[in-house]
Amino acid sequence: MIYLDNSATTYPKPQAVREQMQRALREFGANPGRSGYEMSVRTSQAVFRCRERAAQMFGAPGPECVVFQPSCTQALNLVIKGSLAPGDHVVVSDLEHNAVMRPLKALEAKGVTYTKAVTVPGDNDATMDAFRKAIGPRTKLVVCTAGSNVFGICLPVERIAALCHQYGAKICVDAAQTAGVVPINVTAGGIDYLCCAGHKGLYGPMGTGLLILRDPASPLATLVEGGTGTQSQSLLQPDDPPERYESGTLNVPGILGLYAGMGFVGQVGMEKIYESEMKKISYLYESLSRMGQVELYTPPPAIPYYVPVLSFNIKGRQSEAVGQVLAKSGIAVRCGLHCAPCAHEKMGTGGTVRVSPSAFTRPQEMEALVRRVRAIPAGEGEI
Amino acid sequence: MGKPLLVVSSVTYAMKGKEILFRKGIRSYVERIPQTGETGCGYGVYVPEKADEAERILQENHIRVLTRLDREEDL
Repeated sequence: MIYLDNSATTYPKPQAVREQMQRALREFGANPGRSGYEMSVRTSQAVFRCRERAAQMFGAPGPECVVFQPSCTQALNLVIKGSLAPGDHVVVSDLEHNAVMRPLKALEAKGVTYTKAVTVPGDNDATMDAFRKAIGPRTKLVVCTAGSNVFGICLPVERIAALCHQYGAKICVDAAQTAGVVPINVTAGGIDYLCCAGHKGLYGPMGTGLLILRDPASPLATLVEGGTGTQSQSLLQPDDPPERYESGTLNVPGILGLYAGMGFVGQVGMEKIYESEMKKISYLYESLSRMGQVELYTPPPAIPYYVPVLSFNIKGRQSEAVGQVLAKSGIAVRCGLHCAPCAHEKMGTGGTVRVSPSAFTRPQEMEALVRRVRAIPAGEGEI
Repeated sequence: MGKPLLVVSSVTYAMKGKEILFRKGIRSYVERIPQTGETGCGYGVYVPEKADEAERILQENHIRVLTRLDREEDL
């Protein structure tokens, strides 16, 4: 199989990740943060090391600013639902994933309003103007993607953060597609909340996500309350992160796998990963742009305006049909709306074929994709 | 007389505290606190020596010391 669906989840995982997870099941089998015997404390220490690594990677003030979540979606839900009240206004980009839009839609029924800023791919000044126009006196939060999961378009999140703060609002960045690929520093960049998937560019297993807090003293309302292993005498949820947002037993094998995944990214080098993947995407774009039957939707992608994600269509064909043909040829891509209908609405597409390489994708795999796509004619006839 | 156990709000802060104290040259250990009616369950940083200085260092580094217990001598 040629796996080119790394925006959904990276595959394969580095060997170190697989080994670390097996080690977790063998050696770190106690519940961390609950007891005082050796294996429990050792497991707590291993979890703490992952927090430290994530804090360092994302420029957080300390490991207490790293909150483990089951996914980036749940991290986003925590920020969105934990910081908004009826009457609040939110600004989002017009590229957001349903992980942002669906919680906001649910909050709309409770009196939270939102405005979509019309982004301009490749023109960050125009994008900034759009955000500036969208922010109002009641804007409490701006939620925006760091990189579109459909079209790869990057947003100038540090500039947007500075703009937010001028207006007294906070910023939450959805880094699902950029964490591990594009460097981001929550302290230097002024990013109040950074939501990451552990299982994409960070090469951890599915079931892991991170919420990185710029200011641990600024609390969010909790979505889940329960056991945290401390202050159990009280029926009130503890105030301090990260445990405040981590009720219940942590996914220790997942967290240890994520630790190894971040280690892999650090070892290879984020810049090298970004450049390597963008080179593959650029090759793909150039090859597809020479095929008359292919529709592309952005200018040639380039650092730093794009992440390595490319969408296309074959004229006259449904994206899912093209995906099926590719799947039969052993090429794995994702088709359809990618849980981001807003992005498709913006670009006028009703679905696309999406290609997303990883650090493990080989050039010959992209060449194989190009050859296969070249053989798919436009129109409705059988392929 | 027992040895001082600086109770903090979570195992994460206990571990962070231990790291900070280590960098300052103070030996410490993360331990489960003896449960009391006041504190409930939790973790502390057991500091065999220089406990006063350790407590000050933790607070300077924004780690709240909820209370200070006397750890029972090893049996």
